[in-house]
Amino acid sequence: MSGIRILDARSVTKRFGGLVAVDEVDIHVDQGEVLGLIGPNGSGKTTLFNCLTRVHNIDGGSIEFKGKDITSKKPYQVARMGLARTFQVIRVYGDLTIEENLVLSQQWGALPTHRSFTKAHRDLHDKAAEIAEFLLLSKHLRTKAGTLSGGQRRLLELGMTLMPDPDLILLDEATSGINPSLIETIKDRLAVLNNKGLTLLLVEHDIRFISDLCTRVIVLNYGRKLADGTPDEIKSDERVLEAYFGDDGSTDVE
Amino acid sequence: MRGGTTFRKVSLGLLVAAIVGLATLPMIQRYATDGGFVTNSTLFNFTQMFMLIIVASSWNLTGGFTGYVDFGHGVWFGIGAYGTGVLMSKLGWPFPVAVAGAVAITVLAALLLGGPILRLRGPYFSIAMLATFVAVREIIRIVKPITGGGIGLTLPPYLNRPLFFYITLILAVVVVAFTWWLRRTQFGLTLIAIREDEIGADMRGINTTLHKITVFGLSAAITGLVGALWAYQNTFIDPDIVFVDSRTMDVIIAVILGGLGTVAGPVIGAVVLFWARDIIWANFLQFHLIVQGIVLIAIVLWVPEGIVGTFSDRSGGTTLGRLMSKRKGEPSSDEAVGSPDDEPRTVSS
Repeated sequence: MSGIRILDARSVTKRFGGLVAVDEVDIHVDQGEVLGLIGPNGSGKTTLFNCLTRVHNIDGGSIEFKGKDITSKKPYQVARMGLARTFQVIRVYGDLTIEENLVLSQQWGALPTHRSFTKAHRDLHDKAAEIAEFLLLSKHLRTKAGTLSGGQRRLLELGMTLMPDPDLILLDEATSGINPSLIETIKDRLAVLNNKGLTLLLVEHDIRFISDLCTRVIVLNYGRKLADGTPDEIKSDERVLEAYFGDDGSTDVE
Repeated sequence: MRGGTTFRKVSLGLLVAAIVGLATLPMIQRYATDGGFVTNSTLFNFTQMFMLIIVASSWNLTGGFTGYVDFGHGVWFGIGAYGTGVLMSKLGWPFPVAVAGAVAITVLAALLLGGPILRLRGPYFSIAMLATFVAVREIIRIVKPITGGGIGLTLPPYLNRPLFFYITLILAVVVVAFTWWLRRTQFGLTLIAIREDEIGADMRGINTTLHKITVFGLSAAITGLVGALWAYQNTFIDPDIVFVDSRTMDVIIAVILGGLGTVAGPVIGAVVLFWARDIIWANFLQFHLIVQGIVLIAIVLWVPEGIVGTFSDRSGGTTLGRLMSKRKGEPSSDEAVGSPDDEPRTVSS
């Protein structure tokens, strides 16, 4: 851990009417780390993600990304600064091919030029092909994203976040609805990316996935930060067990 | 949009032949004995058809590519028409300058309106555009000193059928070629990305507002230009003949009939709608609207992807598509990867 704070959010608060979805949460991510964010359903994980990526206006607190205040920036501006994310409900452009999905995620529609006419565009397409290969999608480069399976769409989404060479990726349940062998693939890919210096923040329900990848874990419950520590510390934390499994720490599995 | 290069070459050849053939019509009228088979009314009909093609293509930019289904598109036609009307009859501007002025006014109106109205999505946007259409018609009725109110405006008469025929023909070719090119640019891809997932596009660095307002203004400019030409061709305008609801409906029907969000769709849809209606009108005068309605219901039920969608996408998504793929002995559907849950190519949300 190099110790540079890439993302630093302080006392982030988000209310929906009377419900306080995120309640004065402090969260920071250091350059190069893999931070996990866990918590029971409805604990505010996705809402916090939406606050960090500026989908929601926050009701209190401040968010800094790479040392710049982004509290009043628009979502597309934050994305262009190098903060990429995936979504709990998969978002890909169904009527465009995988290649087009990937290219657009870097090009942002800025250039009204014909595709493949300029060198910049050829480079972009080469990069898209490279990323598709990395994510085992190269066979389907010219396939419309709408016809892919759920797991392939998750991989495509990951590819779309990688296209603009982001500094930080927020992954919202990257493994939900995916078969175990593909989960292993995704895990491998993420580990490789992290070794190359990419910083990651994961929301995840799969605790094994978290403990294999993360160096630090934050637990949310009822919109508040409940715990912050290494995966081992978290697993033995009384309060976390209580939040997940009920008062006596035994009983029903969710 | 596959189908082999031969198919492409043949269709392109046919298209060029059709354009050249059309371009000779006014000359036949001029040089053949008694004008051959070409009358002023032939030229007039074709001019109306070209206008429908142009407006349908421009509607398709917002409604088809970007997914913002506009129920009040006729407002741009109306502003264009009144722009020319006022500039020519009140200020005495010559026709070309007045047309340019009318287009500028239309674009300005679209850019001013686009900011707030494009924040709305789906049916809310559609209804807001319809409301805009009605509101502008009433405003024009009220500001009598400028627009002549319900009495209307008379433009300097200039009845030159071949001129309007050529202007609209050239414009149709240019506009369709432009949409073809645009669909292949990053800008065009971005519009489709906005249709498919606007929130996702925003969070992936696309300035969706900028793209939406640009395409909205572009679409308004093209339609405004047609309105400007129409006013001069018609030599008289009043709120009721300029702001006709059915004009917007015709455009939407043409695009959906041909294929929403495709380049060729609006062209094919406009041609088919124009002549089919002519035939229906000639043969079932009393109930031509009923027949037209029944045909439209049939289209929506059995060919929802339109003519182009059915022919180009042999995924078996439509009844006609399945029939065609069977006839050609191609495997229907499920040949692609994975799940069959891909959405139909209609407008999402």
